Formats: sequence, C-alpha cells, structure tokens
Amino acid sequence: MNRQWLRITGAALLVGLGIWAGAWVHSTRGTATSHLAKSDLRIAVPAGEASPPSSSDEDSLPPPKIPDLLPQFSLQDRAGKTTPITAFAGKSLIINFWATWCAPCRSEIPLLEALHAEWAGRDVSVVGIAVDHRDKVLEFADRFKIGYPLLIGEQDALDAATALGVETPVFPFTVFTDRRGDVVALFVGQLHRPQAELILSEVQNLNRGLEQLPAARQAIAEGLHALQAKQPG
Amino acid sequence: MKISTLAYLAACLALTGGLASSVIAKPWWMRGIESKDSDFLPPDAAFRVSARTEGNVVRVRWVIADKYYLYRQKIDIKAESPDLVVAAPVLPKGRLNNDAYLGAQEIYRQQVEATVAYTRYDGGAHPLQIKVTYQGCAEAGLCYPPITKVLFPEQAAAPPPAVTAPHPWEGVAILAGGFGFLLAGLLLRKGRKLDLPAA
Repeated sequence: MNRQWLRITGAALLVGLGIWAGAWVHSTRGTATSHLAKSDLRIAVPAGEASPPSSSDEDSLPPPKIPDLLPQFSLQDRAGKTTPITAFAGKSLIINFWATWCAPCRSEIPLLEALHAEWAGRDVSVVGIAVDHRDKVLEFADRFKIGYPLLIGEQDALDAATALGVETPVFPFTVFTDRRGDVVALFVGQLHRPQAELILSEVQNLNRGLEQLPAARQAIAEGLHALQAKQPG
Repeated sequence: MKISTLAYLAACLALTGGLASSVIAKPWWMRGIESKDSDFLPPDAAFRVSARTEGNVVRVRWVIADKYYLYRQKIDIKAESPDLVVAAPVLPKGRLNNDAYLGAQEIYRQQVEATVAYTRYDGGAHPLQIKVTYQGCAEAGLCYPPITKVLFPEQAAAPPPAVTAPHPWEGVAILAGGFGFLLAGLLLRKGRKLDLPAA
C-alpha cells in the first residue's frame, strides 16, 4: 500500500514538473516577443501602404504621339502680343518647353542660347515656350538675359504640348522641326550638345533634300542610342 | 556531361535575361520613334502617395522611386472636406540640394512622411478629405509639374498580432512533460496485471 502511494506521489511530481516547465516557458515568451518587436518586426508594412516603386516598374510615361507636321498654336510673347507659331515659318525650329521651377530646364538654357547664336546663319531658331506664370517668366528671362524668342502660357501652352503628343506634361522637352514644319524629333528631358547637334545635322539633311523624314527619324533614333551607349554607367 | 549541359542552359538563360533587360531599360527615343514606352515613370509611379489617420493627425506618406526626388518647399496639405481644419504640415528635414537659381533646396528621396494635425467640426458627417500638392523631378533631367490630389485618409488599422518565435526551451519543456507522463504511467502500472477476459 505504501509502495503504491509512493508511486502515485512520484508520478504526480513528474507531471507537476512537466506542467511547471511549460508554464515557465510560456511566461518567458513575452520577453522574446518584445525583443523581436525591436528587431525583426520593424520591416512590417502598414496595411494599404504603397509598395516602393522602382525604375524597373513596367508602367512608364506613354511615348508622345508625335505628329508629322507642327500643329498650329498661338501664345503671348514677352511683350504680351499673341503670336502664332507660324510667325517663325520658313525656319528650322528648336521649340523648347520649359518652366522656371524646373531645374533641368534652367540648366539647358545656356546650351539653347549657344545653339541659337551658332545656328542662326543656317536659318535655325530657338523658340522657348514657358509653361508658367507670366510674371515669373518675365523676371527670369530678364535676369538671365534670354536672347531667343519666348512664348508664354499656362493652360494654352499645355494644350500646345498635348497637340505635340505630350499628354503627360513633363519638362523640359524639345521639338525639332525642319524649315517646312515637319516634326523631326521630340526629345524628352534635359538636352545636351551631342544630342542637339546630331538632331540638327539630320534637320539640315532634310532641308537640303538629302533624305526623307522616316530615314531622318531612324538615323536620329540610332544616333541617340549610340550616344547613350557611350555614356558611362 | 549533365553538368556541362546545365552550365550551357544557365549561360543561355543569363544571356537572354541580360538582353531582355537591356531592351527594357532603353528609353523610347532610343528604340525608335514608334516605340511604345519610355524610360521615365509616370508621376503617380514616381511618387506614390497615401494617407491615413492616427488619432487627431493625418499621416501623408510618399514613396519615391529610385533616382527621383521631391521638393520639401513644394509640399502642401490643405483641408478639402467641409468643416475640417488642418494645421501646417510637419515635415522632416530634407537633404540640401544647391540650386543656382533658387538657392539651397531641401529634397526628399526614397520616402517621406508629413504629419498634419486636424480638427473636424462636422461631427463626422462627411468623409475626411485632404488636398495634397507636391512636385518633384527625375535625376535624369526631367521635372513633373506640381501634382494636386484629393486623398481620403484611411483610418490606421489595428496593429497586426505580434508574431512570436518559438522559445528555444519550448520543445524541451514539451518533451519533459511527455516524458513525465510516460514515467508516471509506467510507475502506476508497475506490478499491476491486466485483467483480461478469459478466452
């Protein structure tokens, strides 16, 4: 009888030991969780949060549906006179859409000034189209002594951009036409001299009748590709 | 033989992937005038904005694509729904970017969160709406015009239940408990005969 009670007591002790061990482990789990909260759980993203976008996203700006001919539009010049773009007819144009708040737009203005001066003898003119508040543009143009013609507008200038196929407005972008008004190229982003000279040489080929518009566009696309390949990185 | 075949296949796959990615990475104007896409992101992909409420503040968060940035000075948040008053947004300090025309400008890359305290005087009759304005650029030399959006801030969801890792002693404790039950059974059974029915 005594031996049987001894067995029962021993068994009860063993069961109790197991229960105590489980309870002890459970009580220490809170510490483990708070430790995790400080380290591993910091990567938790709140519900409904946007996932980080990257340049590899498949969605990208829709390419401009570039018209073959320069569309007609009119905007005010620096003096406030409504000026149609046809006022520059007969010249090859470098039509640069820009805004005063746009840093890359401001950065390319010296290049545009230089191109306007260098190509003036070959009937090429730069026309700046400022999509901005008129007073800001005038103040900026005076301060930086912009010498090429400027047209200024807000919604009407955006409409001109849309007519050129740029439906999502981004700045700067530059349209190149030949002297007949054919749109030879539309360059989105800050323009640099090698790209500008490549396009202008094709414009000259068109003006001289040395090639047709599709061939010029193809040569520009390939030339820009080659220039990009030369860039470091 | 098998290893060399696998190596060949892997090389082919790598080459194909490399070519595909190089084509995707090129901007539209480098792939010809008729190409279907460009290398610049649309503004909503470059700057993803979301808003949620937490108590009496709205948190507006922008997630900014790599190589794109937002100007601190161009961020503005206003009340849109009736009888809503919002305070001036509180923004973290940005990185200084020197601009020859505008001077030192603070910019944000990767992400930024603005906090705006608000008070409602409509008793919750209207859905909470705020109007956010922001403007940014791509490092590659392109800027987006100021973007204005009306947002309906979501109420912050309850925090998800804490994920707990198993304690290293948990397995040992379960085994110890099981072993204890086994021993207890053996101790109690010792000396006892099974009372089986006679065949």
